[in-house]
Amino acid sequence: MSARSREISRALVGAALRSGGSRALFARELRRAFERLGPAFVKLGQVISVRPDVFGPELVFEMEALQDSVPALPAEQVRAVIEREFGRPIEALFADFDDTPVASASIAQVHRATLATEYRPVVGAVLPAGTVLAVKVVRPGAEAAIRADVEAARPLAERLERSRRFARFQPAGLLGELEASLCSECDLRREARVADRFAFDFRDDPLMVVPRVVWPLTGRRVLTTEFVDGWRLSELDAARRAGIDGRALAVHGAEVFLRQVLELGRFHADLHPANLFVTPDGRICYLDFGITGTTSPEQRLAIAQVLAATVYGDAERAIRYSAELGLVLPPGREQVVREKVAALMHDTLATPPRDVRAYALGFLGILNAEKVAVPLGFGLLVKALVTVEGVARALYPDIDITEAAGPYATRVVARWAMHPARIAERGPAALRAALRELAG
Amino acid sequence: MPDNEQFLRFMAAWALVHETADEGWKAAVERGASQQPGEMSGGPEDFVDGLSAMIAEEKERLKAELASGRMREDDRSSVSESLDELRFELAELRGRIESLQASVDALRPADE
Repeated sequence: MSARSREISRALVGAALRSGGSRALFARELRRAFERLGPAFVKLGQVISVRPDVFGPELVFEMEALQDSVPALPAEQVRAVIEREFGRPIEALFADFDDTPVASASIAQVHRATLATEYRPVVGAVLPAGTVLAVKVVRPGAEAAIRADVEAARPLAERLERSRRFARFQPAGLLGELEASLCSECDLRREARVADRFAFDFRDDPLMVVPRVVWPLTGRRVLTTEFVDGWRLSELDAARRAGIDGRALAVHGAEVFLRQVLELGRFHADLHPANLFVTPDGRICYLDFGITGTTSPEQRLAIAQVLAATVYGDAERAIRYSAELGLVLPPGREQVVREKVAALMHDTLATPPRDVRAYALGFLGILNAEKVAVPLGFGLLVKALVTVEGVARALYPDIDITEAAGPYATRVVARWAMHPARIAERGPAALRAALRELAG
Repeated sequence: MPDNEQFLRFMAAWALVHETADEGWKAAVERGASQQPGEMSGGPEDFVDGLSAMIAEEKERLKAELASGRMREDDRSSVSESLDELRFELAELRGRIESLQASVDALRPADE
């Protein structure tokens, strides 16, 4: 076993010992251990945070709080990456380039620059020369360092895979997933394409901003977009002092998410406070499109049904439509799960202030306790909904997102039911049923 | 009564209901068409008559549109949406080509 493998084992075992059997404590200790172990484990934590189908809710939500910030790279190294990517000196690419980074994380760091000549982006108005840009650069050696850590962690993962206690977490599979996610995150062109798609999807929404991509200055290791200024969700007091209407933005933020899931079929699955901010003109800006989810038309309808049933406290209907999303209850346990979910709905959602987070955590907890496998898409969605509620609460603490979610989901279901194709499909059956009734 | 007779009787009853409903509908359309502005809110019967007349008008418009091949506003907006989507896909392709061009340019030997 290499020295690094030993260091990893020590950190992980230490986290387990310090937790004293408490799940919440273990989650916190593991998150801290990942932060200490560096970039590969920060990425691993991010993979865990989007796998509610494998891990318990405590771990999934704790990993969202991972601090991904590392000391900045010297500017010469960043400049070298950019110049190698485009084969030209930095002065020929930008009117100005700021050597002080705006942000520095394990895989990439961001610098401010100025656009030299006007550019027509894929979506939206032309960016004039002089536009302030955000240049995201993959740190040289980041991919190799993480791969080396993945290799160091592999023997441990294989050993855990053989243990009955840890096998269900599929540690070896998780490492494979980490490698795949790493490959896609190190190619910034993918993120640029997703950003363009989101900008296009919300082109008619005056309250949404997605930074426009400058493609001639974008490559595998460099992503250049317009720089959008604003307040992080942790700085909202300043936003409120500047007259931003937090309540309107919170409601709109929830509707934007519902539109992604229920109408467009593509949603930002890595929403957290660092990926969102509020602009001085009162709009919501989305950043970082590394992880996205998709929903098929059938899933969209089932999600709308589950959402509407949840908001209106109908446990039976919520579980029936959850089955269409792949949630299979073990035979003989249906009634127990239904009763537990109904009680949870009553405790958390029946009366204001409704607690969507407590409901979602409790719901995933019930599934965990009843050994019900959570389909990946379903888990991601529950988690994304909780995050959206958290973001909405950061914008306006007294917000009740079920007030927006209920009518929205009902409209989607009603539109589906009233669609001419649906009526045509159901009409003959209804007529036949009526005739049978008349004929006695 | 044999089964087939029962069936004929049932269908006759159905046709009778249909005919009566059709006559009722035509009468409602006629009453609605002769309503003066504001009369539709007189009560439930007036509302149904007014609504029937409006539906009949829309039916005539639909017939005329189908006969002439003209497009409705809804259809126009669906074409416009498809055009928007096409424009986006072309622009997206342009973006990818620009990025590819930048990568290819980077491969040029330094002395070129």
